[in-house]
Amino acid sequence: MIYVIDHKDSFTHNVVHQFSLFDEVKCDNYNNVDKTKLNKAKVIVFSPGPGNPKNYPLTSKIYNQFKGKKKIIGICLGFQQILFCEGAQIVEQNKIYHGYQSSIKVNSKNSLFKKNQIFKVGRYHSLKLKEPFKIKDFEITMRCLESKVAMAFENNKDKIYGFQFHPESFLTNNGNFLIKKILSS
Amino acid sequence: MSKENQLKEIHTSGKAYAIYKSINGFNLYTDFSKKITLNNKNVSGFLNKKRVSKKPQETDLFIGFFGYELLNNLIGIKVPKQKSMNFPKGIFYKPEKKISYSNNLVNYRIDKVRLKKKFKININRKSYTKIFNKFKKKIKSGETYQIKICTKYKLKSAIDPLDFFCRLSKTNLAPEAFMIRDKDYSIISCSPENLITKKGSLITTKPIAGTVRKNKRMNKIKALNYFRNNLKETKEHNMIVDMERSDMSRICKVGTVKLSKEKAVEEYKDLFHYVSLIKGKVKKNIKNIDIIKAMMPGGSVIGCPKISTLNLLNNQEKENRNIYTGSFGYLKFNGDMKFNIIIRSILNYKNISEISVASGVVVDSNAKHEFGENFIKAKALIDLFK
Repeated sequence: MIYVIDHKDSFTHNVVHQFSLFDEVKCDNYNNVDKTKLNKAKVIVFSPGPGNPKNYPLTSKIYNQFKGKKKIIGICLGFQQILFCEGAQIVEQNKIYHGYQSSIKVNSKNSLFKKNQIFKVGRYHSLKLKEPFKIKDFEITMRCLESKVAMAFENNKDKIYGFQFHPESFLTNNGNFLIKKILSS
Repeated sequence: MSKENQLKEIHTSGKAYAIYKSINGFNLYTDFSKKITLNNKNVSGFLNKKRVSKKPQETDLFIGFFGYELLNNLIGIKVPKQKSMNFPKGIFYKPEKKISYSNNLVNYRIDKVRLKKKFKININRKSYTKIFNKFKKKIKSGETYQIKICTKYKLKSAIDPLDFFCRLSKTNLAPEAFMIRDKDYSIISCSPENLITKKGSLITTKPIAGTVRKNKRMNKIKALNYFRNNLKETKEHNMIVDMERSDMSRICKVGTVKLSKEKAVEEYKDLFHYVSLIKGKVKKNIKNIDIIKAMMPGGSVIGCPKISTLNLLNNQEKENRNIYTGSFGYLKFNGDMKFNIIIRSILNYKNISEISVASGVVVDSNAKHEFGENFIKAKALIDLFK
């Protein structure tokens, strides 16, 4: 079972439907998380959402509790939330991408995806990861072709993955493929 | 008696009635046997009550509206105390009579001394700009991605709703137009936007995001090019499409939510709209109330993400929105329903006419432009008073 932690976002149920293509999915609000479901879940997904990771200490707690024990996937805010828990800084960006389709490129040979592969993806984020960024076992594996902003990270040792863009958006061309690959890793 | 005269008679008799745009014309509903004034306590009961009629009839339905505040409360959002004229939070009627009309509803005109007074706006340009800049900061910090500031125009005036509605329908035959006339209030609307159409298990929503005026140089193809080349309009529209897909996904079977019309241009009398159509199949065991809570208030007129944006709006707005950005429509006994989004409307209550309009703040919009845009939206309705 995949447990989606919702941050009261208006895109969360697209995420739920996308993951439901591969496994049973449960979804609850971040301030109403069910411990039994959490323990039962094979995969935990942090949904997109408004605001800043520092506004969601409950989600951070879940991350710290299950890091290394379960596969964890973060999308948009969820991506930032994981990096924030690892000590990274999440900052405002000059150019904001809301409802924007960008080309992103796989820039690492350690990625689950083929190096130099390009994806067209939908973006909805005000904030971004502040770089340089160095955390053990975490690697930025995709970047925006134009702005070079970090678009995905992988931690293949602990099975932790994050997308700054939205694989579930209608603006993302190969969203299901991306999720399938991460889930089967 | 001709249908035309029937309508005139119903109107002059003082009886309550409602008119709703159909595909080929209008439907009139009257002879109300029940009137339910909604509040937070009775709304769930009203929506979930199983109703069966012995002999199925065209009038096996309730027609009416949900106001903005009620829809907020339904999804657990409180609206702080605001200036209010205590207009009901929602009203539904059970009609016993339905009459169908063509698009030429009726020839009904009243000659009256037109008002010389002018509408008053509740937020001037200076305060609008201030709110605008505040919300832009909220976009920068990620609390909202798009937010629609509402401004209200008000005028003390008694109106003849049928006269207004006929004139409005002549100049602007909107696909979700409606009117209600009851003893103590009336609503006239040329809403273009359908929020829910449900037949059996099939449900659709048709968000509009993007409007451009028609003129000699602007035809349908040029309008499509205008929208495609306008990054701001495109981004706003994309956001609404993903939000509506998500709202539909709450109540639909996995894999059934499909974008069946992506960013198309629809032509109306005076303008072009940029629309998308999203379809889905409702899951089993989904109740009427689940559908209303998933879809309302309609996201395209609020902003995104819905909950955080509603909270920002409610903390900012000093005056109750009443019907504005609520929904009007009908709910059939068999679970089929059709609801619009209440925009481009006049609410007349206690001899005050109010017109609310809103336009969006996204990261690259401009306060002066949006304030002007608001006035353009209100103008078609304000002109009816001349």
